[in-house]
Amino acid sequence: SGNRPLPKWLTDQRLLTIYIIRKS
Amino acid sequence: MRLLFLKILAAAGIASLACTTKVSEWVLLNALPDEYTLAYYHKEPFSQTIKQQNSDIINDIKSANIQFKNVLKTDIDKPYYALFYRNRLFSRYNDHRELDNLAVSPLREKIARELMAGKLCVMVYLKTDIPEKDDKGLQILKRTVNGSPFGNIIPVIELSRNSAEEKHFVSMLLNVESDLKVIDEPMLFGIFGRFKALEPLLAKGISEENINLMIDFLTADCSCLIKDNLPGTDILFTNRWENPAPALVNKILDENPLLLHH
Repeated sequence: SGNRPLPKWLTDQRLLTIYIIRKS
Repeated sequence: MRLLFLKILAAAGIASLACTTKVSEWVLLNALPDEYTLAYYHKEPFSQTIKQQNSDIINDIKSANIQFKNVLKTDIDKPYYALFYRNRLFSRYNDHRELDNLAVSPLREKIARELMAGKLCVMVYLKTDIPEKDDKGLQILKRTVNGSPFGNIIPVIELSRNSAEEKHFVSMLLNVESDLKVIDEPMLFGIFGRFKALEPLLAKGISEENINLMIDFLTADCSCLIKDNLPGTDILFTNRWENPAPALVNKILDENPLLLHH
């Protein structure tokens, strides 16, 4: 699976409002 | 309290990036094919015959992913046509008759029909016409596709690299990578989307494992942030990609959730 490399695609595959009101 | 809000907001942001569209489907719906350029190189002014000849060529290719341009070049002996893709020379033609059926051919039409019908991809097996080389890979391909849960939505098409009728298609496939033309081995191209051909498996690489990885690639969820580096080469063909049938892969995955993967 002359030693040509595999394709790259194959190897790759392989509340806030309430909080503010209360605070104010 | 504030930290909790930040966590909730971050979780919501990540959730909104999730996407269940498959790679093959997304490319068909969204990725426009890259354009070819057909250049006419000349050093003399156009004669009426040449004007008419080029007008006919433009008319033949006007609905395809290609543009035509004239290039004045003084250091040539005689005029010629050259086909480029992403600034790479694919083919050179000395006679305008060689350009007949450049953008369309029976096999390309058949493949486009399959893609528009919602098939996952079309696997094109490019044969050398040497049975000792071709037969083993073809058997592995058919066995693997037939054994895949997605086998029914993956048509397999055989094509001879010596086909006269499909010479332009063969030439484009052999230009997907720069060295394929000089490798006399059977090759397997996965074609998906709007006629995008993946870099091929060839010779011993046409294995069950690698074919299944190709299927995995095309059936995977969209999940990452890189969409501009899609692999493959767009094949020259007419631009009629509106309203494709729904992707059949979704039906299979709905019925078999265990096949879902990322």
